[in-house]
Amino acid sequence: MLAILDVVSIKYYLILSAFLFTIGVFGVLFRRNAITIFMCVELMLNSVNLLLVAFSTYHHDASGQVFVFFVMAVAAAEVAVGLAILVTIFRNIHSVDIDDLKALKN
Amino acid sequence: MKTLTYTSLLGIFCMLAEILNLRKFIIPIALVALCVIGGLTYCDLNVHFEPFFSDMLRVDNFSTSFSLLLIVIAILLIALSYDFYTAQKDKISDYISIIIFTLCGALALVSFSNMTMFFIGLEVMSISFYILAGTNKREVRSNEAAMKYFLMGSFASGILLMGITLIYGASGSFNLATIAVYASGQNPDITFYIGIILVLVALLFKVSAVPFHFWAPDVYEGSPMLITALMATLGKVASFAAFYKLFAVCFVDAGSHFKLVIAIVVALTILVGNLSAIRQDSFKRMLAFSGVTNAGFMLFAILLPNENGGSALFFYAVAYALSSIAAFAIAIAVSKFSGSEKFDAFKGLAHKHPFSAILLTFAMISIAGIPPFAGFFAKYFILSSAIKGGYFWLAVFAIINSVVAFYYYFKVIIMMFSKPENEDSFSPNFVYITVASIAVLITIIAGFAPGVFFIH
Amino acid sequence: MSLVEITFLILSVIAIGSALMTVLSKNPIHSAIYLLICFSSIAGHYLLLNAQFLFIVHIIVYSGAIMVLFLTTLMLLNLNEETEQHKPAMARLGALVAAIILGLVLVAAVSKTATLMPMNNNTVDIGSIKALGKVLMDEYFYPFEFISILLLSAMVGVVLLTKKEKTTVA
Repeated sequence: MLAILDVVSIKYYLILSAFLFTIGVFGVLFRRNAITIFMCVELMLNSVNLLLVAFSTYHHDASGQVFVFFVMAVAAAEVAVGLAILVTIFRNIHSVDIDDLKALKN
Repeated sequence: MKTLTYTSLLGIFCMLAEILNLRKFIIPIALVALCVIGGLTYCDLNVHFEPFFSDMLRVDNFSTSFSLLLIVIAILLIALSYDFYTAQKDKISDYISIIIFTLCGALALVSFSNMTMFFIGLEVMSISFYILAGTNKREVRSNEAAMKYFLMGSFASGILLMGITLIYGASGSFNLATIAVYASGQNPDITFYIGIILVLVALLFKVSAVPFHFWAPDVYEGSPMLITALMATLGKVASFAAFYKLFAVCFVDAGSHFKLVIAIVVALTILVGNLSAIRQDSFKRMLAFSGVTNAGFMLFAILLPNENGGSALFFYAVAYALSSIAAFAIAIAVSKFSGSEKFDAFKGLAHKHPFSAILLTFAMISIAGIPPFAGFFAKYFILSSAIKGGYFWLAVFAIINSVVAFYYYFKVIIMMFSKPENEDSFSPNFVYITVASIAVLITIIAGFAPGVFFIH
Repeated sequence: MSLVEITFLILSVIAIGSALMTVLSKNPIHSAIYLLICFSSIAGHYLLLNAQFLFIVHIIVYSGAIMVLFLTTLMLLNLNEETEQHKPAMARLGALVAAIILGLVLVAAVSKTATLMPMNNNTVDIGSIKALGKVLMDEYFYPFEFISILLLSAMVGVVLLTKKEKTTVA
């Protein structure tokens, strides 16, 4: 069977995942809607997962792929908790705009 | 290993206790069980263990000492929640089980020897904190604290994961021992260094060091006071133990390139924490900034990895955590009585209830670093090893700053001993007084016999 | 160019393009759909990398569970309007500059890598359920059990946070 990393160098996976990660970071800093910010965090986690799988194939080591499972479990738990917090906040101020959160400013 | 397993089982039991109609007994059961777990953990001191479960966890004196400290913190704070959650008796089992799950995450953070356990431990702790910060759900400030903490925390987790992945890519393993061998080997790859920087940034976020501290005051102020105490003590101590394990033990050779950066972060953290604390009129927010300053002092231990670094960090953690718990216990009692978290609420406390005023005075003196309390020796050990390690300028800077810090710690004390405005009688629940007394007692013992708390 | 390279290129372009659209589109529902496309192309990469089991799990967890959670919340809170205002211009510029600097540093660093070496050279299959299950239930048994604490804590917490409180009867 053809091994992909003989054809496409690991460097390209590193660069692709660096791009996706940067886009995720940019989104977190750029957007105001809390739900979109969660999505951008998910994007960051996915770029990490992609890189982990690439490294796992590169090193012929299954632990990288096992780590992806843990990242997925954590991502799912994080999204559930984040959306729950979002719902409680929406019940109180009827907005999910993070710049509307001003009760704690000095 | 058994500490973590039993604590997890205890958390699950507390969760199920509601079904078994044991709601009234949850807190006593949890306290007794944690005392037993603490005793079992104490037996692990000075016993040599092989790594557990394919080197996922390693139990040594460092991890056992920190586990004991974390369990003591958890016992004191769970005891406090007895009175704190009186209004919401039907949810007590959820609260207690999540607090114990937080403890599980913290225990994993002090005894991991694989990046997997480190990551999961950190996430168990952080996710439980996000939830606990928002438990006062009618209150907008509590919602907001949870949201801010969640956004910052999950962003930091993403950065941390990228760091771990790059370290894995370079070294080919998640095992700390293998990574340490790679880090001290012939020129590690550049991706390894980028990974270390990302992990460093994420951990600075978690321990609220400047310039990543901006979330801490808001989150600490908005959360329920007991949870603030939990985050400021349990969360910070566990994160620092993990920080030390990674940067002073694992990456030690590769990490030496970042010495200057960490030194600057230490200076900034101490300075910014101090300057911000001076301006506060809320006691809770003042304690939050004081926590930032103390994080700066604890970062010294990461700067100076030597054989005494672990002991110095542990001693500082004991002094800081227990003094803070004493301060928080009295502050919770006062704010419950007066409904305010401002400094004014403490006015005339010495006339209304002298014993709690004395306890709070002791706690403040200990955090400020005045002998004979533990806080003084903690600062002394950290700073003397800093001078030995060639950071004379930083040590002098830190000493000047701790003198400045007297101002805001003494502001509370002066407020307490001034004349009260009204003659309301103040009689706090005995739980607060007991917890504060125990915490102050330990800081006094640690002040007179520091050797007991050294890691051998 | 071989077929593999072309597939890699197409999947990468789709991934980056849909990721950008996730960030830039104003309507959160559109963002969610673009994110779904991005996840699917990442799933394609998993197939390319011969990680079949992860491919399935990724589709189930991300496209199935997480996206449904997002969309349900969006519908529940009725947020499918383009009401979001922009951040102040300075904040947007700051975000752009910060992201560009981070991207440049990351890409420059990873493309400089010279000493990155594969650690093992065996050719055993690692992506199948059998191989992964052996590692997961043997070497990674303790973290596997420990992650249940995370899920329990999240589950209890979500119920705690979102359950409507009983209106107090006088």
